[in-house]
Amino acid sequence: MSALSKLIAEQRRRQVRPLILAAICAAVVGAGSTILLGLSGWFITGAALAGVAGLTTAQAFNVLLPSATIRLLAILRTGARYGERLQGHAAALDALAAIRPRLFASLAAAPPREALAIARGDAAARLVQDVDAVETRFVRLSAPWGAGAGIGAAVLLAALAGPGPAIAIALAVALHLVLARLLTRKLSAPAGATIQAAAGDLKSALAAFAAAAPELKVYGAQGPALDRIAQLGGELDALKVRAVRAQGVLALSEGALTGLTVAAVLALAAPASAPLAALAALAAVMAIEAAAPIARAFDQDGAAEAAGERLDVLLRHTPEAASHRETPTRPALRLLGQDLAPGARLALVGPTGCGKTTRLEQLLGLRGAPADAFALDGQDGSDLSPAALRAAFAYAPQDAALLAGTVRENLQLAAPQADDETLWAALDDAALADRVRALPQGLDTWLGEAGERLSGGERRRLSLARALLRDAPWLLLDEPTEGLDPTTEARVVARLDARLRATGQGLVLVSHRPAPLTLCQRTIAVETLSPAAGSAISRAMTTPVITTATP
Amino acid sequence: MTVRTPVETEILTLARPWLRGLNKVAAADGRAALAWRLADVAGAAGFAAGLAFGIDALTRDLAEALPFLALALVSALVRGALAARANQAGAQAAALAKAHARRQAAASLLAPGAPRGGAAVTAVMDGVEALDGYVSRFAPARSASAIAPLLLIGLTAIASPVCAGIQLFTLLPFIVAMALAGMAAADASRRQFLALERLSSLFLDRVRTLPVVLAFQAESRVTAGLAQAAQDLSRRTQAVLRVAFFSSAALEFFAALSVALVAVYCGFNLLRLLPFPVPETLELKRAFFALVLAPEVYAPMRRLAAAYHDRQAAEAAALTLARLPTPAPAAAPLALTAAPEIRFEGVGVAYAGGEAAVFDGFDLVAPAGQITALLGPSGCGKTTLLNLLTGLAPLSAGEVRVGPARLSEIGAFAADLAWAGQSPLLLAGSLADNLALARPDASRAELEAAARRAGLSDLLDRRGGLDAPIDERGGGLSGGERRRLGIARALLKPAPILLLDEPTADLDAAAEAAMIAALRMAAAGRTTLIATHSEALAAVADKVVRL
Repeated sequence: MSALSKLIAEQRRRQVRPLILAAICAAVVGAGSTILLGLSGWFITGAALAGVAGLTTAQAFNVLLPSATIRLLAILRTGARYGERLQGHAAALDALAAIRPRLFASLAAAPPREALAIARGDAAARLVQDVDAVETRFVRLSAPWGAGAGIGAAVLLAALAGPGPAIAIALAVALHLVLARLLTRKLSAPAGATIQAAAGDLKSALAAFAAAAPELKVYGAQGPALDRIAQLGGELDALKVRAVRAQGVLALSEGALTGLTVAAVLALAAPASAPLAALAALAAVMAIEAAAPIARAFDQDGAAEAAGERLDVLLRHTPEAASHRETPTRPALRLLGQDLAPGARLALVGPTGCGKTTRLEQLLGLRGAPADAFALDGQDGSDLSPAALRAAFAYAPQDAALLAGTVRENLQLAAPQADDETLWAALDDAALADRVRALPQGLDTWLGEAGERLSGGERRRLSLARALLRDAPWLLLDEPTEGLDPTTEARVVARLDARLRATGQGLVLVSHRPAPLTLCQRTIAVETLSPAAGSAISRAMTTPVITTATP
Repeated sequence: MTVRTPVETEILTLARPWLRGLNKVAAADGRAALAWRLADVAGAAGFAAGLAFGIDALTRDLAEALPFLALALVSALVRGALAARANQAGAQAAALAKAHARRQAAASLLAPGAPRGGAAVTAVMDGVEALDGYVSRFAPARSASAIAPLLLIGLTAIASPVCAGIQLFTLLPFIVAMALAGMAAADASRRQFLALERLSSLFLDRVRTLPVVLAFQAESRVTAGLAQAAQDLSRRTQAVLRVAFFSSAALEFFAALSVALVAVYCGFNLLRLLPFPVPETLELKRAFFALVLAPEVYAPMRRLAAAYHDRQAAEAAALTLARLPTPAPAAAPLALTAAPEIRFEGVGVAYAGGEAAVFDGFDLVAPAGQITALLGPSGCGKTTLLNLLTGLAPLSAGEVRVGPARLSEIGAFAADLAWAGQSPLLLAGSLADNLALARPDASRAELEAAARRAGLSDLLDRRGGLDAPIDERGGGLSGGERRRLGIARALLKPAPILLLDEPTADLDAAAEAAMIAALRMAAAGRTTLIATHSEALAAVADKVVRL
């Protein structure tokens, strides 16, 4: 059993009450619709025959029971439809409330390479769509029950007219479903694959177009580029139009089957009586109609399956039980041939792309590190668990990486228990307190996605404040003062110095600006270092360029 | 009356009119889809008549019923074919509408303040695809649901005016109920849709910020936060759903009621036991015809309800698409006799939507005919400054002067610029086609000279000269060669200003040095602005500005 099916089964058990209610309601709607129309047909035909036979027969005809049943069915159907929708969606919402967190936990537990590939790429958006697909499945769990009840009721009603009509209906429904299955296999599934490919082509053309926007404007070349996008879009649209033909064939086969079944059922039921034949014929119409949603849903099976497979891969990673973060010790750090005592400060400098950020990510266990890359208290980094590594560091990444949330939510990522005073002190040290005070709701101001209400420099300082709040022996700061004016930068650097002195935290700083470098006793130039080139790494490590920065 | 949030109001005031406009683009196919759906009324009538006459004949003899059964069979087949045609026409309409929206959205990416990068691709790709169901299913279903029920009631009236009356009698309260409470139900349903979207974007955000979540060992707290948000949503929306599903309950109620009333009335009429006088005396075939048509009256509304989600998805997408800026017509070149000075005076750049200003009060003078380097890390706004000149970034305060001309008056200086960046656009075609993009009237000799000056001699010799085929993905071209292609384009266009955006990013030191030589040549005699984070490149500049 796959991880996803297990998760879904678990949710089905937890949501068993609303799901059963939804299924019952769906069944009542399905059976009710069939019985309502069938019974009405029987009633009218019987009434007509009785009416023709004369007043006595007419008066002997039991009108109360059928007419009351017909009205009862109408009411039942309404209530049941409402109940089905409500219970089905309630179950889906509750299941969703469990599935998403579980997926996130699995993603967080996945090996860093896999997890970050998803976090940084297109896969993140697809993940959201895949979750939606699973939720849709939940809402639709009651559909087969409704269809089944509708078909079952039709077969039973037809059986009143004899086994022939009943068998004919059962066979017709089976044939309809088999045909639908074959048609989707033959037409929709391959169409889905080509549509996917065409959409991919269009997407990359659009990405290229967006990236080349300045060039297109400057050379006035948007015409041909837009034509190309229109052409690729047209190909995608044409494929989708063609895919609709599969649905058309299905509609045609549905029509043919309805006609044939009704004719056959009427002929087979004729010997019973005209009212029963009417009942069976209308039951046949309703049976095919009840099966229609199931037949049409085959179309989406392929996509749902693919979504399920992708989620399954993720869910294999079982999240560990939330471990209590150990009170951090103050380990010594050995990095790039440097032995750093607790509280020491090291600056990494070097041209862009030489691997400074990579180094920091290795320290944090966000990236695999080769043996001997670094050591904590003499233990090689590649032997330590991500949890052990991360406990030692507080990190302010180059891209700020703010959560969509409030100032407080962002800060509390680092210190969930911190009181307001502590938060303001950290903001003050990052020279951001005044700015946050000026925000409409202060700490509780919503910052939007990636902190879009703040400027680039402000985002960086919030990210710095967040790192300052974490009680960790080493601070890892990646270009913390980029985008700051010299006055603010000087203030941030001075505050940082004072704070480090007070806390005794060590610092590993990546920067190319002179001001923050003055914080560090040692500066090391990282030579071009690519994770792929082992020799470059060892050279950088054995022959560091060390200068002592002026304090 | 519930209070609408700003997004909900914008959906009504911005997204809806935009979608109406979109429907007009594919009006012909939309009408065809509607026509096929309406033709289905005849199919339904044929099927009902076949059944009614068939049953009637059956009370006498099976053989007599056979022609009518054939009519029912043919009608059912025709209905299938009509449904297929209607779907086809709907899909065709959607294709047309999407092509129009896609072109418009793609073109708007070249307007000031348009989304960039991934957001741009999402807006055009996913936004346009989300329109599909609206145009192909919802719009025809909406028109059909306004007309088809009345046609069906009219057909019913031929057999039994009283039954038609009953149908009208159930349809009118249904319409009134939808008008009164349907609005609240629609609001509730939209709120539910938007709340789900918000939950999805929260999840997406936490996935995207996973690196810091892991670094701060906050995975279990963030997981708990996601669970909390989802549970809150689930609890809050239970009440919303109760309102939202009112419409489906009302639809079910009136649909069932109309069948029940028609059946009971016909039964009593046929038995001649009606307790009140009616102006008609029914017979089986008339009654049966009315009964079989009864559920059909509400079928178009059911189809509409099934397509309702398409509408909500399209409205959310339309909101993004309708907000995309409109591209300005291309500006004519300035009459410049020499490379001009470029002045940024108190420049502010702010994007719409409440984001913080990228720049505020920025000043810079790029001396005429010299190289000015803008140095800083990615994300600090270097490219934004260049894009002010190309007309891709919106000037919200201050002024940019190129010689005597003002940006606030002209909108863009694109005609006077040459540009080379990190990822030049590659078109499928020959190398010559790709170069000529910069100057369509250039001779082959000029193209080749520019390519060689930009350092593409190797490529020319290796791949067979200017006719070397190039594919869109740049197969067979190295990263350096692609960028040199961009430089060759810049050399070809005799523009007085050259803009270079990270032209040496991701190149190793040797490749960068070679590239810098080519860039210096391209910059000769022009006012050049370079956005870069490379110190080596900045070193060749006459003036360096650190951002």
